[in-house]
Order: sequence, then structure tokens, then C-alpha cells
Amino acid sequence: MNGIIRAAALARKDLLLEWRGREILTAMATFALLVLLLLGFTIGATPSTSPTMLWIALGLATMLGMPRLIYSEVEQGAFETLLLYPGSREHLFWGKSAALASLLAVLWCVLLVIAGLFFNLDIWSRLPALIGAGVLGVVGLSATGTLYAALLLHVRGRELLLPVLLLPIMLPLVLAGVRVTEAALGGNNGGMWVAVIGLFDILFLLLAPLLFEAITEET
Amino acid sequence: MILRTLLGVLAIVLLVTGAYFGLVVSPPDAFQGDYVRIMYAHVPNAWVAYLSIATVFVTSVLYLWKRRAIYDHVAHSAAELGVLFTGLALATGMIWGKPVWGTWWTWDARLVTTAILFLIYIGYLLVRALSEDSERGAKVAAIVGIIGSLDVPVIHYSVLWFRTLHQPASIVRGDIKMAPPMLMALMTSLLAFTVLFIYLLTLRVHLQQLHTARTESLAHEV
Repeated sequence: MNGIIRAAALARKDLLLEWRGREILTAMATFALLVLLLLGFTIGATPSTSPTMLWIALGLATMLGMPRLIYSEVEQGAFETLLLYPGSREHLFWGKSAALASLLAVLWCVLLVIAGLFFNLDIWSRLPALIGAGVLGVVGLSATGTLYAALLLHVRGRELLLPVLLLPIMLPLVLAGVRVTEAALGGNNGGMWVAVIGLFDILFLLLAPLLFEAITEET
Repeated sequence: MILRTLLGVLAIVLLVTGAYFGLVVSPPDAFQGDYVRIMYAHVPNAWVAYLSIATVFVTSVLYLWKRRAIYDHVAHSAAELGVLFTGLALATGMIWGKPVWGTWWTWDARLVTTAILFLIYIGYLLVRALSEDSERGAKVAAIVGIIGSLDVPVIHYSVLWFRTLHQPASIVRGDIKMAPPMLMALMTSLLAFTVLFIYLLTLRVHLQQLHTARTESLAHEV
């Protein structure tokens, strides 16, 4: 119980900080919109390409915005203070990744609306399934993202390395996300792909807190 | 020391024998002709690539668990060899693919997985190179190594299903029975590359140990 409160306090702090400035979300949404426009214009939006473009935009925008959220303490020189608080460091992981997941979920909803307008998709009748697909992906994205950001904390050029390391790891998530979104839009069966995302999410939700603790100890 | 040299000599002898079997003894394939000889280099390269990835995984887990420097040295060395042999496997595969399939590259699941694997381990080496202190770097690298290896099957199956659900597989693998000389050439090559891998690994680990000892003695003097 205490752990949940600690994690929630950290997430609340990060989200409040973001709410006051709204810098990360604005930058991510603008960037994602640019990616969608560019891909839509060059490739052409068809029902078969739209889900791919959505997920590429989400993935790239995540790469752009994530370091800023995860490293918000580091930039202020307050990360050591955060680590000094008593209790398990696993809760720091849950707090950070919950904040990131909330932000990415909002971004996904924004992207859905934009895609609905630009790509002429009928999102409104399939909204629950589409949001569900996004949320499943966002959980995995934020778990892997938080873990890798913590890993690279003391590595030179961490913001450069983060996408290089994360994109290959995230590949199954993006592939499955594309198929689940296709299924949600077109109605064909995406059950297997929901299982793939679910497996990825569970794998990283089990592994990431453990490894996060291992990496933040004695630092 | 002597043991390592002997291992090196054995690797060379086996490689020469493998080359002799592959280039002279083995007959040309009924379908692929002489191009089949590329396989005697390609298959062992891929095998050693997967062997190094498995080594990285096991030694990374051991390092996080026991925290002994030797496990980290082995993981680091195996990752370097992994990048080398994955690169060679991709290159020899392409050289074989051009005449036989008529294309350098195709979006087959195994090819894509291998390319992603190559990138994951380049990332691993980048992390090692850019870490500020070596002990923390070792820990970070171990975690990157573990996740990288665990993700490989997930990547493989997602890539496999992603394509196959929409289009039939581009390559149909028949149940090809190999002629005995071909099998012998392949097996000798596999053994030769495995011994070569162990030899290079011990050599590289030794170098890493010397390097660490040197850095520590320098730090001690300061």
C-alpha cells in the first residue's frame, strides 16, 4: 500500500510538472503530426497503411519526449535526492513509467483524432477497441522506455543511444500494435496479436522493475 | 598459454580441412551448382553468431548474480565476436542470395531477425564504449545483453507472423537430403568455426584481463 502511494506521488509530481508547462506533450504531438503528414503525403493514406503510420508516429514521438520526462530530476540535479528517499526503488520505476504511460495514452488519443480527420478513418464507432490497442502498446512502451532511460543514466550521449537501443527491442510491440489497430479498424481477427502485445507487456512488467532496482542500487 | 596456442593451431588445421572438403571434395549441388559452397561458410558463421549471443546471455546473468569480473570479460568478448559473426553471416547470406534467389535481400523472418540482432549487439558495444565508469558500464551492458537475448525469440515470431499472415512465405524449404561429402564438409566447417570461436574468445578475454590489470595499476600509481 505504502509503495502504491509512493509511486502515485512520483507520477503525480511528474504529471503536474507537465501540466504546468505542457512542453513534452506539445512537442511530441507536433512531431507526431509532422510524421503523419509526411508519411501520409509520401506514401498515401489507405486503410492498410494508416495503422502503420500511426504506430511509427507514436514510436518516434515517444523517443523524442521520453528522455525529458524520465530525466526531469537529473536535469535539476535532484535524482540523487529521489534515490535517497527510504523504501524500495521499484516504486520509482512504477511511478515514472505510470507518468510516461499516461502521457503516451493522451498522445495516442490525439493521434487517433488526427488520423481520423486526415486519413478519413471511421474511428468513432470503434473507439473503445482503438483506445484499447493503444493502451496495450503504451504499457509496454513506457515499461521498456523507463528501464532503458534508467540504464543509460550514466552513459555519455544517453539521449543519442536511447533510440538506438530501444527501437530494436520495441519492434515486436510496434508490429503487434499495427496488426491490432488494423483489426480494430477493419474488424478482422487480431486475437493472436493482442496475445503478442500482452506477452511483451507481461515480460517487461515482470523484468523491468527487477532490473531497474539492480541498476539504481549503490549509485 | 600453450593450451591456447594449441587451440589456435587446431582451429587453423580444421579450417583448412573444412576448406578442402568444401571446395574440392564436395560435389556441386544439383540445383545451386557451385554456389552451395558458400553455405559451408555461411551456416557456421550463423551458428557461431547464435553461439556468441547465447554466451552473452549466460555470462551476463552470471555477472549480475555473482558480480565477478571474469563473467563480464567473457560477455564483452562474446558480444564483439557476435557482431563480427552476425555481420559475416549476413554478408555471406547476401552473396549466396544474389545468384540463388536473384536478390541480395528479401524480407524473410530469419533475415530480418538476424539484422535486428546485429543492431542490438552494436547497441550493446556502444553502451560499453560510452559508459563513464567501467563497473557501472558492465552492469548496464549485462542488462542490455539479457534483454537483447530474451527479446530475440519475440522479435523472430512477431516478424514471422507479421509477414506470413498476409503473403505466403517467399522461400519454400524442401526436405533436402544432403550427400555424404556435402554433410562432411558442412560438419567439418561447423566444428572448425566453433573451435575458432573458442580460440578467439579466450584470446579476447585474456586481452581484456590485461587491459583491466593495466588500468588498475595505472589508477593505483596515481
